Amino acid sequence: MAQYGFYFDMTACGGCKTCQIACNDRNDLKPGVLFRKVKGFEGGKFPMPWIYYLSISCNHCQEPKCVEGCPTQAMHKLDNGIVAHDKEKCIGCRYCTWSCPYGHPQFIEETGRVNKCDMCKDLVEEGENPACVDSCTMRAIHWGDLEELRAIYGAEAVSDLPVLPNSSKTTPSVLIKPKSVALLKDFMLKED
Amino acid sequence: MTKFIDKMNELTISRRNFIKASTAAAASLSLVGCGNSLTTTNAGQAAAQEGQWITAACWHNCGGRCLNKALVVDGIVIRQKTDDTHPDTPDYPQQRGCARGRSQRQQIFGADRLRYPMKRKNWNPGDGGKKELRGKDEWVRISWEEALDHVASELKRVKETYGNQSILAKSTGPALNAYGGAMTYWGCTSDGAWPKPQQFMNGNRSRGSNDRLDLRNSKLIVLWGSNPVWSSAGNPAYNFKQAKDAGAKFIVVDPFYSDTAQILADQWIPVRPGTDTALLLGMAHYMITNNLHDQDFLDKFCVGFDADHMPEGADPKENFKDYVLGTYDGTPKTPEWASEHCGTDPDVICSFAHEIAVTKPMTFTSSSAAARTSVGEQFCQAFLTVGWMTGNVGKPGASVCSNNRHNTQSYGGPTLVKAGGDKSPKSTNPIYKEATFPGPDPFKTDWQGIVIDEAWDAVINGEYTAGVRGKQSCDIRMLWNIGSGNTLNQNTDLMKGIEAFRKVEFVVTSAHFLTATAQYSDIVLPATTEWERVGGFLSGNPEMLIFYSQITEPMYEAKDDEWMYQEIGKRLGLDPAEFDPLSPKQKLFNKLAGCTVMNEDGSGFETLVTITAQDIAEMGVKGKPQEGRITYKEFKEKGIYQVPRSHGDQYVYIDYKDFIEDPEKNPLETESGKFQIHSQGLADTINAYGWNTLAPIAKYQYVTEGYEETFANFEKKEKSEYPLQLTTIHYARRSHSSLDNISWLREAFQNKLYIHPMDAQARGINKNDIVKVSSRHGAVIRPVYITERIMPGTLTLGQGAWAEVNDDSGICIAGATNVLNGGLPTGQGVQAYNTCIVQVEKYEGKLQKDYLWPKRIVAAQGGGK
Repeated sequence: MAQYGFYFDMTACGGCKTCQIACNDRNDLKPGVLFRKVKGFEGGKFPMPWIYYLSISCNHCQEPKCVEGCPTQAMHKLDNGIVAHDKEKCIGCRYCTWSCPYGHPQFIEETGRVNKCDMCKDLVEEGENPACVDSCTMRAIHWGDLEELRAIYGAEAVSDLPVLPNSSKTTPSVLIKPKSVALLKDFMLKED
Repeated sequence: MTKFIDKMNELTISRRNFIKASTAAAASLSLVGCGNSLTTTNAGQAAAQEGQWITAACWHNCGGRCLNKALVVDGIVIRQKTDDTHPDTPDYPQQRGCARGRSQRQQIFGADRLRYPMKRKNWNPGDGGKKELRGKDEWVRISWEEALDHVASELKRVKETYGNQSILAKSTGPALNAYGGAMTYWGCTSDGAWPKPQQFMNGNRSRGSNDRLDLRNSKLIVLWGSNPVWSSAGNPAYNFKQAKDAGAKFIVVDPFYSDTAQILADQWIPVRPGTDTALLLGMAHYMITNNLHDQDFLDKFCVGFDADHMPEGADPKENFKDYVLGTYDGTPKTPEWASEHCGTDPDVICSFAHEIAVTKPMTFTSSSAAARTSVGEQFCQAFLTVGWMTGNVGKPGASVCSNNRHNTQSYGGPTLVKAGGDKSPKSTNPIYKEATFPGPDPFKTDWQGIVIDEAWDAVINGEYTAGVRGKQSCDIRMLWNIGSGNTLNQNTDLMKGIEAFRKVEFVVTSAHFLTATAQYSDIVLPATTEWERVGGFLSGNPEMLIFYSQITEPMYEAKDDEWMYQEIGKRLGLDPAEFDPLSPKQKLFNKLAGCTVMNEDGSGFETLVTITAQDIAEMGVKGKPQEGRITYKEFKEKGIYQVPRSHGDQYVYIDYKDFIEDPEKNPLETESGKFQIHSQGLADTINAYGWNTLAPIAKYQYVTEGYEETFANFEKKEKSEYPLQLTTIHYARRSHSSLDNISWLREAFQNKLYIHPMDAQARGINKNDIVKVSSRHGAVIRPVYITERIMPGTLTLGQGAWAEVNDDSGICIAGATNVLNGGLPTGQGVQAYNTCIVQVEKYEGKLQKDYLWPKRIVAAQGGGK
């Protein structure tokens, strides 16, 4: 089975949130719901502070807990590895929002159902990149076949960071080139 | 698919229904989102098959002006994208837009758009009625006819009773100019103190940087007070990143470890706001005493560095070197001396000075932030002087660039592609013919205009400063804000601004939303945005030109500002055919036909666009067919022309190359033909403005609301009641005040006060607290962001928030920084946004997150308020 994935170059990310807004626009999200989020983490002491940003959406895991726990098969994995969500089947039980260690699926009050990043699968099917990828002003987000991404960027990339859950839980399809400070265990979540 | 089409039918995304839906949403005030009735991804999918991608203007004054495309279905934009007109490479990058540009459909189709003209309920023609109710009165919807009649008759009355100089306008426009003009305000809001030092010290080369691709030849790049990730979004930070990847070391000087610094900086050097001059003098001292300055360069290309190289007629004792060494004033400007003011560690000052002196080639670049300070000219003098002391000029990778910001951040050299003029007759304000930016000639005596910082005070107290003429009296009766942005929000001294608005007899404003300026007016006119107009051109960086098209018909009853001018003009007996004879379409065509692009050999300019007789007929304009590089249809379809660039191409530009190669043959346009470290002309000009004195060389003087004023007694180090320094910087959420009402952006960027843990702790302030920030001029409340990234003793708060001033408490809950920034005119008429002293305390009240605030929709606009 093929597996699409994301590569994120943290060393280039300025935390400008263009990807987040492009995702909001693509998915017509109401405030309060984000499929792609940019989170900052910081530490150090003046005059040597540090901060890094992590742009993260659904990691389209190879062993997705959300799919595993979904009682109606609304959450399902496509042949290309995308974790997709069928709104017709969703009963809004929210198991997926609890079982995803990354907290990705979002319960939408308005519809009473869950929604999530679908890797812009309709764009992808037309040969385009997901909206976030082509929006990045720093060219920090890349998308493609995970093994191909690994072949290009794998040497410097990780799937585990102290701020993320252990990748062995779900085998996320995401590669991250970390800043060195992102490997430090002592960090604080930046307030927006 | 059938199911899907059913769904589409349910949604019925016609523009008419959309407007109905958003009116209903406005009425119920329930809409915190984008005001778009289309909420499902499926709708987007279907529309993608049927809609059309059109190039949409991103016209805000942010400097980026990137490519913005809108997917339009039946007049509604259901999705946006950015540049995909060519493959993306670092040499020839796509012009990708930022978070702000990507949210723009929430702006144009926002439920809070002004739909109809309205007047204040308790307004009366002639005397203004209950003027004290401005800002809190009820609104009454009126017809365009009534609105325009009122505006014209009030204008006539004020002119005939008090004269044109009793009307205060930021931008007068052709009708008002034809009617005798108005008193205007002027200033250096953007460039800070740079224009005059540039004029006198380096011959008016306004920016003076090398080409974008040449940055990659630098071994060291110093960014002084520059945060392009926020202030020049789009490609600038990406361009700098290419230089970093090519091996350049970056040093960022700033009170704040910015989002740009965290990508680029190998070293962050904190400095207190407004004390950069002291830091630079300390660096100069280290360089001089260690003989690290480039004496040959200074001897050959500069005047004023030492007693042996002074400009004609100058006192040899007043040279820079002896000032730094303290030869005559007894105070050597040592790194220790500097540190007492600027707060930078003396060892860091030495190592920084050492590094810039020995690393070649180096790019030494500053934006305007450090110059947006009281007597910011002293910083400009010191920055250029210390830059020149390293000799990094006129060679690949070497550049001392002043005022590198906005659309030229990371760019240099000539504009490679540009639009033509619209060929309208020139319209000048008869009573102020000078430039409103950067300001008038202070030695001239024929202008009537008020520096921005004095504008509100002048309305209230009837007096303003007029260069060598000193104080002049004035009698302002009317505020004219048509086609001029959100001046009450964006001018300094907002609290006094409210008082001024409540004093005059009449205030009229055109706007897209109920901005602060509109809110405190008597008559409000709904204006179109660029998405509703005929189209036009935008130039950001020098390598590209955007040709945007109309996206949708004017929303509701919104009209172009130009139409308002014409209608008001008609009512005053003026003929629009005289003051504004060309149609919007014809103006657009004239700009199009006049587009030029640099030749491929770089020797001159050629016509850009091929236009056929058929194109002209289709456009319905007058013109002649012409031959150019690309067809009109291709240009319109792509929406951009970008000059392809590659490594070592013919466009590589090295600033001052000719001067450095042969200074005799290619002198600068300065008094001496050389770089003027000493300029008596600069000092005399600044003194002539009438607010400060300035020495002809870089000297450090204490300034209004500078660091030293945070002390009641600086020598004894006793703090004053305003012990903290605030910078009010460009914020990622908005472009000045534009886009501050966009929910997605409010959610992403929560407009917090940045404070160091030490300063927070000393005040009992904890995470998630709300704080009150007070200055001598006003107070705001905001949530705090407690962070090690801000220098202790300093704070930052993004400028441009939409003021929400509570009349009873006098507190602005939105954190509009001009509540805190006083009207403190300085230098050449600089708005000293970054020298502002404040106190912070914990605020016990609650504050809802900004993105949950109700939109500003009043009953007269179909809302329920």
